[in-house]
Amino acid sequence: MTIEAKPLHAVGVAMKRKEDPRFIQGKGNYVDDLSFPGMLYLSLVRSTYPHAEIKNIDISEAMKVPGVKAVITGKDLEAAGLGWLPTFHGFDKQMVLAIGKVLFQYQEVAAVFAETRAAAVDGAEAVQVDYAPLPVVADPFTSKTDKVLLRPDRESKTNHIFHWEVGDRDGTARAMAASAKRVKQRLWFQRCHPAPLEPCGCVAYFDTMGRLQFHVTSQAPHVYRTALSLVTGIPEDKIHVMSPDLGGGFGNKVPVYPGYVCAIVGALKIGRPVKWIETRTENLTSTGFARDYHMDVEIGATADGKVTALHVATTADHGAFDAAADPSKYPAGIFGIVTGSYSFPIAHAEVDAYFTNKAPGGIAYRCSFRVTEASYAIERGMDILADELGMDAVELRRKNFIRKDQFPYPSALGFTYDSGDYHKTLDVALEKIGYTALLKEQAEKRARGELMGIGFSTFTEVVGAGPSKHFDILGIKMFDSAEIRIHPTGAGIVRTGAKSQGQGHETTWAQVVAEELGLDPQNIMVEEGDTDTAPYGLGTYASRSTPVAGAAIVMAARRIRERARKIAAHLLEVGEADVEWIDYKFQVKGVPSKTVTMKQVAFAAYTNMAQNEPGLEATYYYDPPNMTYPNGAYVAVVDVDRDTGETKVRRFVAVDDCGVVINPMIVEGQVHGGLTEGFAMAFIQEIQYDAEGNNLNTNFTDYLVPTSFETPHWETGNTVTPSPHHPMGAKGVGESPNVGSPAAFVNAVIDALSPLGVRHIDMPLTRDKVWRAIRDAEAKTAKAR
Amino acid sequence: MNLQHTGEEKVPARLDTVWAFVTDPEKVGGCFPDVVSVAVKDATHFDAVVKVGVGPVRGKFNMRVELLPGASKRRLDMKISGGGFGSAVDMTAGADLVDAGDGTTLLKWSGQAEARGPIAAVGGRVLDAQAQKLIARAFSNVRQQLTG
Repeated sequence: MTIEAKPLHAVGVAMKRKEDPRFIQGKGNYVDDLSFPGMLYLSLVRSTYPHAEIKNIDISEAMKVPGVKAVITGKDLEAAGLGWLPTFHGFDKQMVLAIGKVLFQYQEVAAVFAETRAAAVDGAEAVQVDYAPLPVVADPFTSKTDKVLLRPDRESKTNHIFHWEVGDRDGTARAMAASAKRVKQRLWFQRCHPAPLEPCGCVAYFDTMGRLQFHVTSQAPHVYRTALSLVTGIPEDKIHVMSPDLGGGFGNKVPVYPGYVCAIVGALKIGRPVKWIETRTENLTSTGFARDYHMDVEIGATADGKVTALHVATTADHGAFDAAADPSKYPAGIFGIVTGSYSFPIAHAEVDAYFTNKAPGGIAYRCSFRVTEASYAIERGMDILADELGMDAVELRRKNFIRKDQFPYPSALGFTYDSGDYHKTLDVALEKIGYTALLKEQAEKRARGELMGIGFSTFTEVVGAGPSKHFDILGIKMFDSAEIRIHPTGAGIVRTGAKSQGQGHETTWAQVVAEELGLDPQNIMVEEGDTDTAPYGLGTYASRSTPVAGAAIVMAARRIRERARKIAAHLLEVGEADVEWIDYKFQVKGVPSKTVTMKQVAFAAYTNMAQNEPGLEATYYYDPPNMTYPNGAYVAVVDVDRDTGETKVRRFVAVDDCGVVINPMIVEGQVHGGLTEGFAMAFIQEIQYDAEGNNLNTNFTDYLVPTSFETPHWETGNTVTPSPHHPMGAKGVGESPNVGSPAAFVNAVIDALSPLGVRHIDMPLTRDKVWRAIRDAEAKTAKAR
Repeated sequence: MNLQHTGEEKVPARLDTVWAFVTDPEKVGGCFPDVVSVAVKDATHFDAVVKVGVGPVRGKFNMRVELLPGASKRRLDMKISGGGFGSAVDMTAGADLVDAGDGTTLLKWSGQAEARGPIAAVGGRVLDAQAQKLIARAFSNVRQQLTG
């Protein structure tokens, strides 16, 4: 047999995505594509009131609807011990179906099971619920007063959920008081929704062995299995969770939702498969929202612009239940990254969270737990400081950047930044956008009264949760895992505890294995999402796939390489110590002509292994020693129409440093997608509630997702500063553009409006808000005259 | 979202004729705009099914109506609650009947409504105008029924 050697360099190659042929042909396999004999459909009755006592639930009319098989209510679940569901954060619980009262509009009140989807919806419509309205708490500042107690079920009789703080409170106050310059601004990062195009859903049934088969849109299938076992008491071996293709997740598909529990209960009670698929409105109104942080940011600096202190006090709106899905020790996520890319000698950050009559959530929408909020706070804050100092925003950043020689850098709020070269990344971005020419153009336009802004965001992210000494969810440490099997012909399969939702793991992981083992990435299959086959892992969110599961793949591959070395020694007829791995093959030390490829070794592992253990496979559970710190320099150029308030993003340059790049095409795609989401938050999206607690953005005509028509043209670039502790030097990139871009857009618009004296506008910067700001500023100027 | 509306109808009929009409569930129920069916429960209660369409939100509402005739026979209040397709409204409507002295009666009406659910979400744009139109149409239907 001849096995041809070919160049196998796989990392850094813009390989086309292996998953795309099925996606672009509409042949993806989503939960809603599944159908089983006798399958029933679940529809949920949802509260029309944001806060009300439930006087009575009458299901008699619903039971008369043709096709309706059963209706269950909160009382039924409570009697079965399934009335409440622990939230992933671990310090609160959530009603599966309302018990006694409802706490937010669209809350789940009853579950209707029927032969068809239409009959289930008709049945839900026929359930009569008598409500007695209660006073509504629609914002955290009203909640703070405790005039209306929202959660009497809890031990502590207050709407205050937690106080969290990090850093040196007194020292920061002293440093602030001693600072020559102090700026302070309240910034609201509005309530948003990840809005994956595929909403949440599941199919549940019990097979002939009494085993729960659970197909679900989950970013964390193993965590679901453990959580479902803990909640329902079903032994974990009797639960099989399968996450097929996901049409986006963005953090929305991390928590376990009431619909899932109802589907499982229905399947058990009726003995038939049950499918539950959310409508668009249900997704936007009841499953995990993001952000809703009111942040009071204060920065101290010397007169010449050297930062001296940072204080951020946040009031957080968590909705009716604390379902933020943060790691146990981090109720405010990793908000401590709020010192950003700057060398703050001292800092203090605190967050107070409150219940309100709104949907629960506060999930990590394409960010590593509150990192987007933190990045927005510091990047807006630095611009406001530059403005007050009369300094160029770029100059202020350069002056305060953590220098390349300071890494590993211990931040004032307790992180150890692994690596970066912020000055270089910024220089690349400035060069790409042509900053000097833009400044000249801006000066000319300002002289003519035209509004043009240049906005920066030079952010640092913290991703890859995380080291087991700090990070866990429900007590489970946040490691991740990989299992690799190499077949006799040199093809193979890799399984991980991560779960792709569109990130392209089927391609990226194949490239990693190919790189480490000198195999063809086209013949490395990737399988994720099946808890019966994949090793235990915490799933994909918080940009943790490449930093954690990716590292596990590298380590498992290296284990395979060590086992393969023994077989290579046998094939090369030398001692193991005389074999080295050079240029993607095994070679006798100092004898370049005596080599064997991994493909040859793989065949031998099954046919000619001598005294070595047959087969070629390995598993690795990776506990990261530190987080990774991707960073970037983003520049937006925005023109603002003075008469209409219309904004146009004319240019946007994103230079990312995510360490070693595995597939540049996938990285670019991730950046494009994240920037589009950042653009949407900055200019378009907000989940609004009126004073009566009505959700006003319940569908895609009221909650707009930008199409190619609205989306600006993105220009991307990168610098590479490898992570010193990741086995490949990679850092993760999926979330950087979502984290970094909102501040760049807002900074650009405010820069455009700064000649009028406008200092800040909260997102989203809709036309009418910008127009009002211009009009008010002009009126003020006219009055002053 | 809270909505408040007022208006006036001049009905070419004597006050006691108007009073008898508006306090009769069968008759007043038929004056609801786009009414599909009316089921009278007793002298002061009836259920009505009406077609509702606000922007993209369309469907049928099941309404429970309670008539609260004043002892003076000059004032009628109505409590209406109900909903459908995940939306709900609670309304109160009232009318003062004023004898205009020429064989006609003035119906001075006012109404307020609280809407919740998808129907409230489209509110800012169209709900207010739509609600005003619906209430006004209900009272103008009363006038038309009593004309000739």
